[in-house]
Amino acid sequence: MLLTAMRLYCAVVHRVVEFVGKSVSYVMPALAFVVAFEVFSRYFLNKPTIWAYDLSLFMFGYIAALGGAYAQQRRGHINVDILYNKVSPRVRSLFNMFSFALGIFFLVIVCKMSIGKFEEALEFNYRRQSEWAPHMHHFWVMIAIASTLLIAQLSSDWLDDAVHLFTGKRLLPERNFDDEDDA
Amino acid sequence: ADQNWRFANLYGRGTAFGEIYENLAKNIEANTDGAVKVQVLYSGEGVGTTGILGAVKSGLVTMGAPFQSMHAGELPAGVVEIGLPGGTDNTDELHELFYDKGWGEILKEAYGSQGLVWLDPYIQPPVYIITKEPINSVEDFKGLKIRAPGAYGKFLRNLGASPVSLAWSEIYTSLSTGVIDGSIGSNMIDHRDGNHVEVAKYMYKLPLAGAQVLPIVVNRNAWNKLTDEQKEEVRAATKTHAEEQLTKSKKWEAEAVAEMEAKGLKWSPEPSEADKKAWAAAGAGLWDEYAASDEYSKRLIDVLRAEK
Amino acid sequence: MMSIEVLTGVLLVCILVSFALGAPVGLALGGIAMGVGYITWGDALFNVIPTTLEGTYFSFILLAIPLYIYMGQLLTRSGIGDAMFSASQLIIGKVRGSLAISVIIVCSMIGAMVGIIGAGIMTSGSIALRPMLERGYDKRLALGVIMAGGGLGILIPPSIPMIMFASSTQNSVGRMFIGALVPALITIILLIAYVVISCKLNPKKAPLDKVPEVPQTPKQKLLTLRDGGLSLLLIVAVLGSIIMGIATPTESGAIGVVGAIILAIFFKRFKPKMVQSAGLRAAVLVSVAMWIIFGATVFSNFHLLMGVQNMVAGFTEDLGLPPMMVIVLFQIIMLLLGFIIDEFIIVLMCAPIFTPIAVSLGFDPIWFGILMILNIEIAVQTPPYGFALFYLKGIAPPGITMLDIYRSVTPFVLIKLLVLIIVMFNPELVTWLPDKLMN
Ligand code: NA
Ligand code: NA
Repeated sequence: MLLTAMRLYCAVVHRVVEFVGKSVSYVMPALAFVVAFEVFSRYFLNKPTIWAYDLSLFMFGYIAALGGAYAQQRRGHINVDILYNKVSPRVRSLFNMFSFALGIFFLVIVCKMSIGKFEEALEFNYRRQSEWAPHMHHFWVMIAIASTLLIAQLSSDWLDDAVHLFTGKRLLPERNFDDEDDA
Repeated sequence: ADQNWRFANLYGRGTAFGEIYENLAKNIEANTDGAVKVQVLYSGEGVGTTGILGAVKSGLVTMGAPFQSMHAGELPAGVVEIGLPGGTDNTDELHELFYDKGWGEILKEAYGSQGLVWLDPYIQPPVYIITKEPINSVEDFKGLKIRAPGAYGKFLRNLGASPVSLAWSEIYTSLSTGVIDGSIGSNMIDHRDGNHVEVAKYMYKLPLAGAQVLPIVVNRNAWNKLTDEQKEEVRAATKTHAEEQLTKSKKWEAEAVAEMEAKGLKWSPEPSEADKKAWAAAGAGLWDEYAASDEYSKRLIDVLRAEK
Repeated sequence: MMSIEVLTGVLLVCILVSFALGAPVGLALGGIAMGVGYITWGDALFNVIPTTLEGTYFSFILLAIPLYIYMGQLLTRSGIGDAMFSASQLIIGKVRGSLAISVIIVCSMIGAMVGIIGAGIMTSGSIALRPMLERGYDKRLALGVIMAGGGLGILIPPSIPMIMFASSTQNSVGRMFIGALVPALITIILLIAYVVISCKLNPKKAPLDKVPEVPQTPKQKLLTLRDGGLSLLLIVAVLGSIIMGIATPTESGAIGVVGAIILAIFFKRFKPKMVQSAGLRAAVLVSVAMWIIFGATVFSNFHLLMGVQNMVAGFTEDLGLPPMMVIVLFQIIMLLLGFIIDEFIIVLMCAPIFTPIAVSLGFDPIWFGILMILNIEIAVQTPPYGFALFYLKGIAPPGITMLDIYRSVTPFVLIKLLVLIIVMFNPELVTWLPDKLMN
């Protein structure tokens, strides 16, 4: 019963994180286009835009932050795996439980501070300092969502490792991402 | 009880301006008989240039010397405070504006609304534009791509130039390759430190803002932990600091100009009367726009208008 | 209150423990800073998060990372990157290790485009790692070449750390850019020499026979050469856009993206799916890099707010050592700092502290600055902690472990150390060219 509930939680988290991760990948070509457009507009039309600078930074931030949970799902975040590769899978699960807890601790603070900053941005109408002066509030909402997604993914991985440590079995079937996307 | 303050500024460790802030820190310690200890944080040492206001507000650092243009999106009135393009460089006039005509009170309120205590402001030398080609008349600005953020960019657009947004560390390369035709610097010292004269030779004589008025801000909670006596002692230190800024920065500005001239800096020809008029008109054109940006800006600009 | 020396020790121990347990680097650094910070400072420290987020995510300089990675991914997926190396194999394929040599040369050209380390390594890795592994190259050689070549981005102008050094010590950027050219050339020559010699000594490192699709007919060969030539043209176009003042080094990555798409269409290798799949891989890599940069910056901001810079400044006062020993000592301090902080902070922190001392001892500041750049290149590549190591791990295929990476960089770090020592004892290698050209 408990296992089924956990399995369901993990499955939902995986689906949401994957959806957000894949959606973010469409921002990448758009980002390149915005920067290329600024170059074109400035050099060939002699009309630098007032919006490309901040817009490109926002897009960069969205990609970088929101992609974090999907990177964790694919175990893409960098770690030093020297001792890690030498220990048994169950000890590795124990290590993960420690690491992911540390990560969640950090991300809870990131999320909490971002929500605070969001409220502040609304109250004082915070904007970027540029001439275009776009709003800042959505950036803090995005960071709060990105850290929440990463917390959810880490918690799902933490549960998986906890079950593995105690029962020797995995919650979710192993997936192989490399043939899927890294063609 | 003793207070340990962190004081963030925008200048690098070991730079001339950095030393003035170090002196302010020492003066606060001396004036309060060591009750307030101040650790100076230079550029890059824990708080980014755009983060100073937020860091003081949240209490991450206790005191800050922010550059208001970096915080135009957080506290728009600061942009009026620092001096809109075309503003005066007369220190007596500025003193009057802040202490007799009410700017000081308005700014106390503006900063206060965000949990900041606004201490005596100080004056730094004006903003100048360096260009690759000489500017023979204001007409020459038409079509020039000039790196100039925020209010300065709007001002230059009024003159027909195309303001460009660039990271500070890309100015040198961009001037050298011709991505931009010119750039403003926070002051002459900034132009010298950025080595801009190696890649652009001509300085325009008219400054974009006559003088820049910068505040010292303190986190309100930390401020309220001081006794009234200590508050006065800290204020006294910021007064001394303002005087030191004024005398030293004039000297350093002259030195920076001399150094750049030795490296081949030339001045664009003396602007004509018509040029000066066009320049002032471009500046005045910004008043309405900035007055509309927020309540405190409007009150500051109303004072300016009443003066005319 | 804990002294800064003790705090630094505690932080180091925490890093080593969490790294040993295999924790994700960025999250671990952030978590350690928050945990230790909460104990020593209190929850006011949490306010470092918003300012750091704004500082790292709104850095236009770092925008080069997504743009260049995306360009690299498009080049790989369209096969244009491979075309470049296949063509080079047609020409110098008979030389053992020739592919690694062409990778070093391509990396140097990428180094001439980008001004930061991360963009250089991840772009070079995207394009050049797979061709080497497919042709049976020793993985350590392949990884090491990418790391060493990609790291050249800050030594070959334009270079962001050099601009930062010059402005914080009031020196000429132009002199520094030109002064770096000879040391950069020496580095490239030594890297190539190492590849040639080590492949001669151990032919298994670079097999000659394991080529995936050898162009057989003259027509195929001609096509390979044409494709290679055109892809080289892309590099020329990106470099040209910088030199001709069309784009800044950061923006030039976007020119590269557009160029890669045009080339792919021209080669009839363009598939709409490619734009998305390259985007997905690039987004994951960017995210991995940025979460490390964010966590590490939170960590170093905390450490700086606690006053580590005063510890370094205090350490260098009144040394009473012979001048050259002072320089050597500075290099050692910076190498050690490279264990915990990133390239930009090392420059911002050490340049203003060390340079006046070096100048007062009679040394040339530009020479000292170049030493600092060479040093940083090494610092970010030395285990256990170094951004370059993490970037390389991010771009490497799944089977590659951190140990492979640590081992792969060793000979190349030694070469860079050799360059550092050569330049340290022969200042004219730096000063000669700018003196000749600028005065
Ligand atoms: Na470069
Ligand atoms: Na290192």
